[in-house]
Amino acid sequence: MEFCFLRILKLTMKVLVMLLLFLGNIRNSAAYFSSSSEATMHTNNWAVLVCTSRFWFNYRHMANTLSLYRTVKRLGISDERIILMLADDMACNARNKYPAQVFNNENHRLNLYGDNVEVDYRGYEVTVENFLRVLTGRHETAVPRSKRLLSDEGSHILLYMTGHGGDEFLKFQDSEELQSHDLADAVKQMKEKGRFKELLIMVDTCQASTLFSQLQSPGVLAIGSSMKGENSYSHHLDSDVGVSVVDRFTFYTLAFFERLNMYDNASLSSLFNSYNPNLLMSTAYYRRDLYQRHLEEVPVTNFFGSVMETIHTDSAYTSFTNKNFGGAKTKIFLGQSFSSSDINSVRNSDDEDQFNNLTAEEDQHNEVGQCIFCAMDSGHLWSVIIGNVITHESVDFFVCYGLVLMLPLLVFSTWLSL
Amino acid sequence: MFHSVICSESRKLIAQYMLGLDAEVTYHNFYPQLNQFHPLHFFTSPDSSIISKNISCASIGMNTVGIIRAPRGDGKEAIVLVTPYNPKKVVLGEALSLGVAYSVFSLLSRVTWLAKDIIWLVADSQYGEYSSVSAWLREYQAPQFHRVVVNSETCNESSTIEGKLYSGFRRAGTIAAALVVKVAEDGNHFDDSLNIYAEASNGQMPNLDLINIVNYLAVHKQHLRIKVSKMWSLLGSKWLNTLGVVLECIGQYARRLNPQWKFGIPANEYVEGTATLASSMYYQGLGVPTGPHGAFRDYQVDAITVEISPKVSPTKMNRHIDFIFRGGRLIEGVVRSINNLLEKFHQSFFLYLLTSPSKFVSVGVYMIPFALLGAPLPIVAASLYMFSSKTTPQAPVASEVDFSLESWKWINSAKKVFVIHLWGVAVSLLPYFLCRIPGLTPTNNLTVWGSFAVLSLVILFSMLGYPTSVAVPSEAEKREWANLKSVTLSATFIGLSLMSVINFATAEIGALLIVPFCLMARPLMLDIQARSMRTLLLATCNLALGFIAFPPCAFLLLKSAFDSSGGYNISDYWNWMESLWAWNSATYLYIGIVHLPCWALCIHILFHPS
Repeated sequence: MEFCFLRILKLTMKVLVMLLLFLGNIRNSAAYFSSSSEATMHTNNWAVLVCTSRFWFNYRHMANTLSLYRTVKRLGISDERIILMLADDMACNARNKYPAQVFNNENHRLNLYGDNVEVDYRGYEVTVENFLRVLTGRHETAVPRSKRLLSDEGSHILLYMTGHGGDEFLKFQDSEELQSHDLADAVKQMKEKGRFKELLIMVDTCQASTLFSQLQSPGVLAIGSSMKGENSYSHHLDSDVGVSVVDRFTFYTLAFFERLNMYDNASLSSLFNSYNPNLLMSTAYYRRDLYQRHLEEVPVTNFFGSVMETIHTDSAYTSFTNKNFGGAKTKIFLGQSFSSSDINSVRNSDDEDQFNNLTAEEDQHNEVGQCIFCAMDSGHLWSVIIGNVITHESVDFFVCYGLVLMLPLLVFSTWLSL
Repeated sequence: MFHSVICSESRKLIAQYMLGLDAEVTYHNFYPQLNQFHPLHFFTSPDSSIISKNISCASIGMNTVGIIRAPRGDGKEAIVLVTPYNPKKVVLGEALSLGVAYSVFSLLSRVTWLAKDIIWLVADSQYGEYSSVSAWLREYQAPQFHRVVVNSETCNESSTIEGKLYSGFRRAGTIAAALVVKVAEDGNHFDDSLNIYAEASNGQMPNLDLINIVNYLAVHKQHLRIKVSKMWSLLGSKWLNTLGVVLECIGQYARRLNPQWKFGIPANEYVEGTATLASSMYYQGLGVPTGPHGAFRDYQVDAITVEISPKVSPTKMNRHIDFIFRGGRLIEGVVRSINNLLEKFHQSFFLYLLTSPSKFVSVGVYMIPFALLGAPLPIVAASLYMFSSKTTPQAPVASEVDFSLESWKWINSAKKVFVIHLWGVAVSLLPYFLCRIPGLTPTNNLTVWGSFAVLSLVILFSMLGYPTSVAVPSEAEKREWANLKSVTLSATFIGLSLMSVINFATAEIGALLIVPFCLMARPLMLDIQARSMRTLLLATCNLALGFIAFPPCAFLLLKSAFDSSGGYNISDYWNWMESLWAWNSATYLYIGIVHLPCWALCIHILFHPS
């Protein structure tokens, strides 16, 4: 009888150890899958908004950038995820008739420079060097987190730039130039470092399309306000302020977004089709060959807003592959009663119970080493379980089985210890 | 006494109005500087230390200056508004210009967009508009620390204005641009219009952008007609109209051949453009500023004079408010445009000739005809030199030394050319001494000047050994004229090239006169001896050109051609020359040192015995 009891105990221990080893294995395999970013979920949104010119007569560029800043904030990207680079010499310029206010329309209804404008890089900080540092994330140690682009492989990034440009370059504050090679190189580095999932580059300058010519990295979508050899024009002059206050391309982009709210489902292609070359006085250019998804299916809020699908996952520390968890399958999981924290806590308590049980049994028998050895011994059972996992290819199925199996074992062992 | 009371009262009134706008107000006293001929002061601003000490209080000019500080500006730059105004004889036009400037000034004292300080200079124009502005500018730009201090308390009663006036000279920042505002006395009966005067000393022009701003704002915002000066006599001339019609026809034909060719312009536009171009070139070539704005250009400040010319005369005008409103809107727009700039004007042209208020000929285009005119000079000089050295009868060359002497033959001619140029310098310095002799009329002056010039030339030629026509000239002497002409052409070329750098318009007009004569000049003897139709025609041409290229003749001919007012007097030439040196115009130097000697040399070649 004693012998029989010991055998049952051994079997129990074997199963438990198997289970522990197996759970560890699941975690490893999940981590391995997530390293390829194409398959990563879109988890967050960032925006980098750059006004590359300064001086009073470039008022419209600051107004462009601030307008877009306001739009993406309205559509849900929070300030901490917006890197705003502005020369910022307009609002308090002595020439400004409306001190500390910036307008993008001559009706003056909307003050873009109202409350809550967080400028991350200001004045002479807006340099090519800082711009590239922000993109590639190579900062000096003293740079605060608020000035860094802390994106990851699940990020959608909107990069908006406006200023004066030419054939394959963009001027930064009349003193430096960003070349198309520099931009392409920075984007490539970002890709390699897994700093974005998808990147939308929107540029409003003269000959904007030339800035994209060197891009190679997949997942990049680019929109420019004009083709090579074309100028991008300002929309209208505000005779009260005394200068042009907005550029055409940005004006019509904003006009498109003013009709939208956070929950609208307008697609990127509807944005692209809204540009009328006659109104722009230039031809908007889209480079989509690096972008895999169909533009008809991508909502604009994927870049200009921060609207996430709410997904219940059953594991807190793992990121999940699109293949298994995306789309329709999400709903199935929503249908199940397990939430991730539930499962987690259940498993933890189980582990603790098992451990408690184990120590209790150790005290009784002092045969722990032997037990583990026995478990190692029965290799054929291990291979059978692994085989099951591979054939089923459903981890959760197995976990559920394991949990169900554990219940009678738990009852049995408590009964024994009584 | 009565005048001086009016003066001080009107000054005080202006100062009080300025003070009412919270401006910083000062008076600026200056001594009127009479324009005198200072041979050493060409290209330099006159020195204010040359002030005679016995100037009384009554003859002191007094500018009133008001400064508005930009509330949020950095105080490093300023814009100047100038209204010339004669307190001794106030006319309604000047009073209206004060009104326009005051309305602008009072607006600017309230606006929030000022980035540059505004200076309103009410220039005391009793000794001329230019001298008062230039005196103020000299003080502003180059303060004199040990000058004769005018005791302002004894000379005026400025202290009576509630003690709010600042004593001493007040400055704002670097002057970005200046605008002289005037209102014309007479109505022009057509339309409210705006005259622009831009020429400063030695043909310098303000940046074209300043003219463009005024033109744009006046035409598109205030619906004023813009005018720049024209040669009115050209407008009616038949040959120019015919030329315009011909060009229009060619243009239309060309467009039929290829729609891309669009060089044809309507005939009347062509005529107007030519008249404006001629005037623009004349005033640039003259080198005399066309208004007080010229004083600013001496300090590299862009400035123009805008003269608002109302439809009806200000005395008959019954809508002064409306007029001031319109003028004020224009000035406000210009001031705001300049205020919004970050740098001085530099984007557009400084070297241009106007063909209409909105069209111009830039330096790149107008250099071409001058280069084409000048290019034959060195080529012909070289060919003449080759000709003279080749056709010299080659005596059997005894030694190397002889041969080298042969090739240095031009030294003789060069000596002659150099001496004639020295004579030119002497002739141009003579008026300096003539001015010192009191009580000479212009005609007398001109006679003395002319006779001295001729006399000295004759003496020089006799000293240099002018070959007399009595003796039979040797073969070498016969060929000497070619050598002389070659050196003359070179000297003319160098002179014209130098002048084109200093004042292009002068060089262009001068080249038109002197280059054909230089190129065609050859001894009349040769032509007469040949006795063919061609050579006789050539001789006639030479004589005609020689007549036209003579400076006084050229002046009188041009005057009679373009000035329809009539009454041509030889003394006009003296007056004209006097105005040139009084304004330190380089044109005077050009006429004396380049044009006259070259003309004399060509005449010498013309009468060369051969």
